[in-house]
Amino acid sequence: MRRPNLGELLPVGLLLLVAGTQVILTRTAALSPWKGGGFGMFSTTDDGGRRRVRVFVSAPERSEEVAIAPSLEDAARRAAVLPADYELSRLAMGVVARERRYARPVETVRIEAWRIDYTPDTLAATSRLLRQYVYRVGTPAPPRP
Amino acid sequence: MLARLLRPAPDADGVSDSVLTLTAIILLLRPLDVWWLAPFVLATACLSLALRSVRRAPFTWILVATLVAARVVVVWPLSDNHIYLLAYWCLAIGLALSSAASAATLSGSSRWLLGASFAMAVLWKAVLSPDYTDGRFFRVTLLTDDRFADAALVFGGLSRDQMAANRAYLEPLPEGAELLDPLPFVEPPRLRVFAAAATWGGLLIETLVAVFFLLPTAPRLELARHASLLAFCVATYALAPVAGFGWLLSTMGLAHCRPNHRWLRAAYLAVFVLILLYTEFPWTAVLADWTIR
Repeated sequence: MRRPNLGELLPVGLLLLVAGTQVILTRTAALSPWKGGGFGMFSTTDDGGRRRVRVFVSAPERSEEVAIAPSLEDAARRAAVLPADYELSRLAMGVVARERRYARPVETVRIEAWRIDYTPDTLAATSRLLRQYVYRVGTPAPPRP
Repeated sequence: MLARLLRPAPDADGVSDSVLTLTAIILLLRPLDVWWLAPFVLATACLSLALRSVRRAPFTWILVATLVAARVVVVWPLSDNHIYLLAYWCLAIGLALSSAASAATLSGSSRWLLGASFAMAVLWKAVLSPDYTDGRFFRVTLLTDDRFADAALVFGGLSRDQMAANRAYLEPLPEGAELLDPLPFVEPPRLRVFAAAATWGGLLIETLVAVFFLLPTAPRLELARHASLLAFCVATYALAPVAGFGWLLSTMGLAHCRPNHRWLRAAYLAVFVLILLYTEFPWTAVLADWTIR
């Protein structure tokens, strides 16, 4: 039996490194198991389509939930799939920039990331809060992981 | 070093041309969706189909692997898993073409990549996901995922009205809300059986592929490897809407065939085309239109 050479093992080494990181991120940063290169697709109902973010903006005399604008849908999708500081702050900064473009005051942006759970027998659906994040205007962005 | 990467690998005892050609076709069938990466990948794939010197140069595939990996980074964390696998696969081709025993190296890479990716899929389904082995995943997915809806109608014995009512039932209510009259939920026995078959059949065949590819090579085991992978592709991609994954798996299976396995090579090629037909011919939708009112 021939021994595998380095060129043969490097691709699978990368696969295992990325997959191991993905498993850790699902446990520590609520990454959806469907994403991140860990091959968790078709294993759980916790996919991107069953996650969503809600965005709340507040300022003096203002506190309301705002709809996700089309220009922020991509950032919202990323934040829903991986509700970590970097993705959430990126979305929050996008919301701040948009509010300012429309001359609306904004001091803090609160983002909630939600997923749907189904009970084992009846499949009754409930929403569960995965993460809440508050961004205060002027806070520097956290480093990208 | 660069000269070695640009020099085409010899045909004799080298990586089969059909593996390289099918990989280029995959790149063309499912272009990357990042505008500043896609043109380069498409152009490289076209050139590799047209020119042997491009197709058999290690640099071509290392370049494509880099571009695909860049796509994963740019859209992080939204890429599907087969895009990662495509990057590893193109890297494996590039490394194999630059090695002395290119066919054996790529055969080994494909074996390890298939074994590891299926092992991870089994780990997620059997151990890490709480809602797979209790059947919830397929019970919910067959009802809520549009891509499986026609199969659920045909094989699950649901009517379209029941499907719509079930979808409403599976929507969560706003926090604290409670319905005066609970919504109906209809789950015919046939649908439960279909969901259970998908759950356990899927897990069983993926486990077999992982085990057969990770066990040390033996003559009889080789046949079991190919039989399990071919069976997985034929069964799964009839319903699962991820043709890109299926094409990649069948191409990797082809790369793991020995040169004298002519009928196995033909089987992988046939499966590649079958997955294309599954994708382009909506057979479950046609069946649903015929059979469901």
